[in-house]
Amino acid sequence: MGPLFGASLKMIVRDRQAVFWALAFPIMFLGVFRLFSFDSFGTTELLVVTQPEPSVAQQTLVDALQRVDFLEIRTESGLTEAAALEVLDEDRADAALLLTDFEVGEGLDARLLHGISDPIGSSATVAGISSVVDSVNIQLQGGDPPITFVADSIDSAGGTSFFEFLGPGIIGMGLMNFATISLAGSLSRYREEGVLRRIRATPLPAWRFFASVVGAYLVVAAVQVLVLTLVAEALGANVLRGGVWFLLLAVFGTMIFLNLGVIVAGRVRSRGAVEGAANAITLPMMFLSGAFFPVSQLPDAVRGAVQALPLTHLLRAMRSLVEGASIVEQWPELLILAAWVAGTFLLARISFSLRDS
Amino acid sequence: MVRSVPQPVSPSTRGEPVIQARGLAKRYGNLVALAGVSFEVNAGEIFGLLGPNGAGKTTLVEILEGLTDPTEGTASVLGLEVTRQPVEVKKRIGVQLQASSYHQYLTLKEILDLFGSFYPRSADAMELLRRVRLEDRADARIGQLSGGMKQRFSIVAALVNEPELVFFDEPTAGLDPDARRDLWDIVRGVRESGATVVMTTHYMEEAEALCDRVAFMHAGEIAALDTPSGLVRSLHAPYRIHVITSEPLDAAAVRGLSGTSEVEQVESADGWVTAMRAAEAPRVTSALARLAEEAGGQVVDLAVLPATLEDVFLSVTGRGLTD
Repeated sequence: MGPLFGASLKMIVRDRQAVFWALAFPIMFLGVFRLFSFDSFGTTELLVVTQPEPSVAQQTLVDALQRVDFLEIRTESGLTEAAALEVLDEDRADAALLLTDFEVGEGLDARLLHGISDPIGSSATVAGISSVVDSVNIQLQGGDPPITFVADSIDSAGGTSFFEFLGPGIIGMGLMNFATISLAGSLSRYREEGVLRRIRATPLPAWRFFASVVGAYLVVAAVQVLVLTLVAEALGANVLRGGVWFLLLAVFGTMIFLNLGVIVAGRVRSRGAVEGAANAITLPMMFLSGAFFPVSQLPDAVRGAVQALPLTHLLRAMRSLVEGASIVEQWPELLILAAWVAGTFLLARISFSLRDS
Repeated sequence: MVRSVPQPVSPSTRGEPVIQARGLAKRYGNLVALAGVSFEVNAGEIFGLLGPNGAGKTTLVEILEGLTDPTEGTASVLGLEVTRQPVEVKKRIGVQLQASSYHQYLTLKEILDLFGSFYPRSADAMELLRRVRLEDRADARIGQLSGGMKQRFSIVAALVNEPELVFFDEPTAGLDPDARRDLWDIVRGVRESGATVVMTTHYMEEAEALCDRVAFMHAGEIAALDTPSGLVRSLHAPYRIHVITSEPLDAAAVRGLSGTSEVEQVESADGWVTAMRAAEAPRVTSALARLAEEAGGQVVDLAVLPATLEDVFLSVTGRGLTD
């Protein structure tokens, strides 16, 4: 297997298209997303919790907040902190502002709870509310003592920026694109150029051919994860926290996408159509599986459907590792991924035969 | 990996059949690609399969190579049943496929090393490249080669395992005459190194120049099989006669001469050109001189040519090689 494995490696590295999908494409995404300041736009649904009988200061603050464009304000009175957290958990609001009057004459405490379910908006929300509080304080000057504003992130990992959320997403996307598009493309090219037929004229067993080619892709995928992880880390995504398991998990998940590549190359005969079909599989998955945006932001109906996509589970496990969870805790996702690896392997076996070439 | 220089086939094996095909047929649904073909190929010969596209040459070769299973019939190659022991057969044969089909991202040397690794024993890549004068192209890729170089490479790539039997499928297709002659020398060199060669072609001059024996393929069958000269001799009219006369000949009288056929007469700048096929030459040529005098003119030029394989093919199959 050695020489063919080595030759397959060389061929992948010399194939500009493969290198593009493996590295240039995801690095481009990392770079572009890094440029945007996502924290400065978007609408935030803010739940404002007032006391049953709001004071003048509370009322003034709520009025001022309602004039801010990017805030959608909903007020409820008398909610406990736990109840407010539950609202956030269930994605019924992006952030909650708890207002509590101190003892008469000692001012108002405004405490903001914001999560990562809306990573785009959360820092904007903090900054926006903070400036509203400042202006209300000026307005109330001379009268009541000032409002004190505190922002608490409710994320256990201590605050994940949107870019940190994106890091594993783009790495997973890069793996999928490289594995599915490049492998399907090169297998169909081999078939069209007669390479498969020529190989079939030699005593090389078919399984050794596939093992060498797929093995080479897995090694390149491992290098790809390593490079993309370092690039993402350098740009500030903190992905190195995932450790070795992050790498192994990513390579394991890549097997699914390699199998998909083999299936596409087997089912679709013409080479142009193969590239189209491979893109038709990877593109929707790239956007629906939460590579760029949290799955929680999708409409409920779609959210159920994306649970059926393998990239969703791979990304969820990869993100958990980056957030500090252990690999053992990922067993439900690992189980689903293993089922995908096995299922796509079987389908790949019946879809692609060297004898068709 | 065992590297060794090609060993000539020992004299005792020379002359024994390396291929025995018995009733090989291949059907794809209603389409008959091969309609029951039997023949033998002897050790050390260059055996040609000649026929137009679609005659079944490639199907036949692919069955012998173990790439395609026959619908009917059996084939023994190097003493092994191809359908039962395809891997053993593949280890000992060399295969050049119709399209030059190699990895575009590997260099010539890398491809030869790679293909060599598929066999229990293999020749040295640089040695192979030297045999076809491509040693200074060892680091080039397929896409950087000319058509002739590509064909030379695909021939030498069929020799990586030092095969006892080599199949060349249209080795000179699309090449100019110089490159074709160059390739003929290479094929002869392959035979001289001890291998038996089976090649397909639709160039009759190639079969004539290169092959010890030729099988005509037509509509999935072997229409005739012999040495090129034997095939020509088998014609009832093995000569072509061209005569140029100052006055037109009586065409009916020419047709009336015993043994002539396909008589055509046209006027040219040199005079009247009459072409025909003839069963024998001396009597017909003297009769032509007499007819020229009777017409009040004389013979300006006369050429007697042996018939070609093209003529044989036409008379055996009723159609030309180029369709």
